[in-house]
This record gives sequence, structure tokens and C-alpha cells, in this order.
Amino acid sequence: MKPFNLIALLLFLGGAVWVLTRSDRAIRDFQASYYYAVSPFLKSGSALETKARAFLSEVDHSKALETELNAIRGEIGRLRIIESRYEDLEKENAQLRHALDFKKATNFDVVAAQIIRRHPTTWWQTVEIDAGSKSGIGTQLSVLSNEGLVGKIDRIDRGGDRSSVLLVTDEKCQVSARVEGTPEVGILSGQRGRLEGNPLLRLKSLTKDASLRPGARVFTTGRGGIFPSNILIGTIESIEKGPLDSEALVRPSVDFDDLGTVFVVLSADP
Amino acid sequence: MIRYSIIAVFLLLASFLVQQFLPAFTGMYHSRILLVQLMFLCVAVTVGSPAMLLMAFIGGFLWDCHCALGPHGGDPDVYDQPAESLRFGYSILLFGAMGFLMQGIQPLFQQGKWQFSAILSGIAVFLYLAAEYMLINFVRGNLVLTRGTVNQMLFTSVLTMIFSPIIFWILFQLAKTCDYSIYPEAGKKRRGQH
Repeated sequence: MKPFNLIALLLFLGGAVWVLTRSDRAIRDFQASYYYAVSPFLKSGSALETKARAFLSEVDHSKALETELNAIRGEIGRLRIIESRYEDLEKENAQLRHALDFKKATNFDVVAAQIIRRHPTTWWQTVEIDAGSKSGIGTQLSVLSNEGLVGKIDRIDRGGDRSSVLLVTDEKCQVSARVEGTPEVGILSGQRGRLEGNPLLRLKSLTKDASLRPGARVFTTGRGGIFPSNILIGTIESIEKGPLDSEALVRPSVDFDDLGTVFVVLSADP
Repeated sequence: MIRYSIIAVFLLLASFLVQQFLPAFTGMYHSRILLVQLMFLCVAVTVGSPAMLLMAFIGGFLWDCHCALGPHGGDPDVYDQPAESLRFGYSILLFGAMGFLMQGIQPLFQQGKWQFSAILSGIAVFLYLAAEYMLINFVRGNLVLTRGTVNQMLFTSVLTMIFSPIIFWILFQLAKTCDYSIYPEAGKKRRGQH
């Protein structure tokens, strides 16, 4: 090997080791700078993708009508989520009516956003939305739709008007979940390599003799500090019993292929 | 040579911008055209090792900026078995490895047989994706290989490879503009015949 090539190789390996040993914070700074630099192109790219999607789904609305429709859909969804939340709280309130120390203030606020880009990376299940830190969004906040849990905020752009959502169908998005009507609690996540249609989710760490029935609904527990409680995730499709524990395959309640408007939970009681 | 290499680096940066306009084909197993990787692989065969390694570093670094996920977060007592992600920077090494693979058939390319490099770029993209997926399996501790994943890698490789003649054409034009011979062997042969 020529000396110049050897020096280049050593410099390359040294640079790679330097990058591989950066902290999470430094990595986030690199990413923020990268997305800040490409943001004008991202806007055009996502506008193109949104237009193509609208064309393919044969939506024949005028621009103004479409904007108005999206705004109304967003508002309806937001109110539905708040309404369902208040129904839950009403029930909880009735159950705890006799508890004199039940004085906790209720707090549930969401912001509506449109999905502007789908699956920008090869292996991760993510989407990008048109709301960011300017709307009060931060990382690790839950994202919902009218139908249930969508995922959580993974990254916010430095410009403040975009963020990336890690979908619940990704293996890295783990959710503490419970099965309705049972004491079963487990960790739910997406499955690797399942991309087609609406992939099933896997609910792990259930007890060995868990008595579950297909069709039972799965909700968030509120444990773990990321997702608020009592958010619908899906319904049980099948149960797999193992020698030490059981696992269940869960059909998500959200149709991820048809997802347009989502809601980021800015604040919620656990 | 230097002018060609500098412009090639800018072409690689430009491919990152164009990549933003290339969505995944959801009907084809979420396959996509990996323009960044294609640009790097095509340039890699036309330059020397130092320039290739520089581009591998830039390409891998920016690709990880494009793709890396954040930490899981949440209470570690509840989420005690988080799904690991690939370490930021792994793409630099993968880009470097694929660059060396492309340079392996540089003698053929220098004789003017660019078609072999075009086919190899498709194979290199497949190997790149396969290596990436295997690394994910390795860090997560179990092997999951579905037909959908294999199809995704295959379709992505083929879709990307189809565009390699266009990239090579751009590079030929660039080399002509920069007075840089990317076919030195073919040039010698022609001069010998005259």
C-alpha cells in the first residue's frame, strides 16, 4: 500500500472512531445542524410528497377547501380526544367519589399536526409532522390520532416547525401496556421487518398463564414516564404461550397507511 | 484530479438534497432509490483511495445525521430492555467498505468497462443494506429475517442500480470538463492504436 493511501486510511479510521464515540447530545447537535441545512429542501420535498399523495388518493378539493377540511378534521379529532379523556376522568371520579383526598387537577392539552412526510429512512418507522417547538412540542411527547396511540416525538427540527414521530410500529418504540379487564401488564412494541399494510405489534412480558382472549382491548398504563394512561393501542389478535411467559400479537387501532392528522399531547396527567 | 474530486464531493452533498425528494415506494415493500449511496459508489470507482475515504467519511456521517434515532427515554425500571439502535457513525465504516469493494474492479473500469461497475453498484447497495440489517439484528440480539425485508433490500438495490448509468454519464461529463481521465487504460490503448 502506498504511504499516502495508508495515511488516508489511518485518518479515516481515526475520524470514524471519533464520530463513534460522540455523546448523545453531540449527535443531536450534528443532526439539528444537518436538518437545519436541508430544511428548505425538506419543505419542498414534503410538499411534493403531500401533493402526490393527494393526487393518488383522487382528492378533488380546491386548495382552500382542503385547508379548511384539514383544520376542521384536526379540531374534531382534538375535541374527541379531550372528550374521551374526560369520559375516563368522569368514571374515575365516580369511583373515587368517596376518597376525600382526591384533589388532583386534571391537565390534558394537545396540539394538532399534519403528517407531511412518511418513512424518510430505510429501517425505522417514522413520519414527519408540520409542528415543532414553536407549537410547544418537545421530544418524548406522545402522539395520538382519533383512533388511538400513534407514537412519540423523536426529534424536533431547529427551525421549530417540524418534528419527527417514531411510530408505535417500530421495534424501538416501547409502550407500557395493559389488557382491558385483566391484571396483565407488559411492554408493547413493533416488530422488526414487518412493513406491509398495518403490521401487528408484540405485547411481551405477560404472565405465563395469562388468560387473554382475542379481541380484548389494549391500553397504555401510564407507567414509564412517556405515554399518558388509558390511551387505546389496539386489540389482541392472538396469544403465544412460552415456557416462561406469554406474548400477544396486537392489531393497532390506528390505520397507519391512512394517517393524516395527529395530535401531540403537550401535557397530561399520568 | 483535485478539481474533479472537489466537484464530486459537492455532487455527493447535492445528492443528499435530492434524496429528500425521493419517497419510499410503499407498494414495493417500502423500497427506495438510495441516491446518496449510488453517487458515492459511482464516484468511488473513479477516484483514488484517499478521495474515496474522504467521501466515505462525509457520506457516512451525513447519512447517520439523516437517519439516527434518539435515545428511548422513559423510566429504565419500566423499560428495562430497550431496543438498541446502531451507533452513530457506523455508516462511515460501511461506506468505506463499499468504496473499497467498488475499487476492487477499478482496473476493469479504467479499461472503459463501466457496465461492470454499474452492476456492482447494485450488488454493493444490496450488501450495504444486508450489512446494515444484520448489524441491527446483532445489536438487538436476535435474527429476524422476513420475506418483506429481503424484498425491500432487493427492490431497493435494483431501483438504485437502474440509475447508475445516469450517474456515470454525469461523472464522464464532469471528468471531461475537469480534464481528468477516468479511463486511463482505455486512453493508453487508443493512443497505442494511433
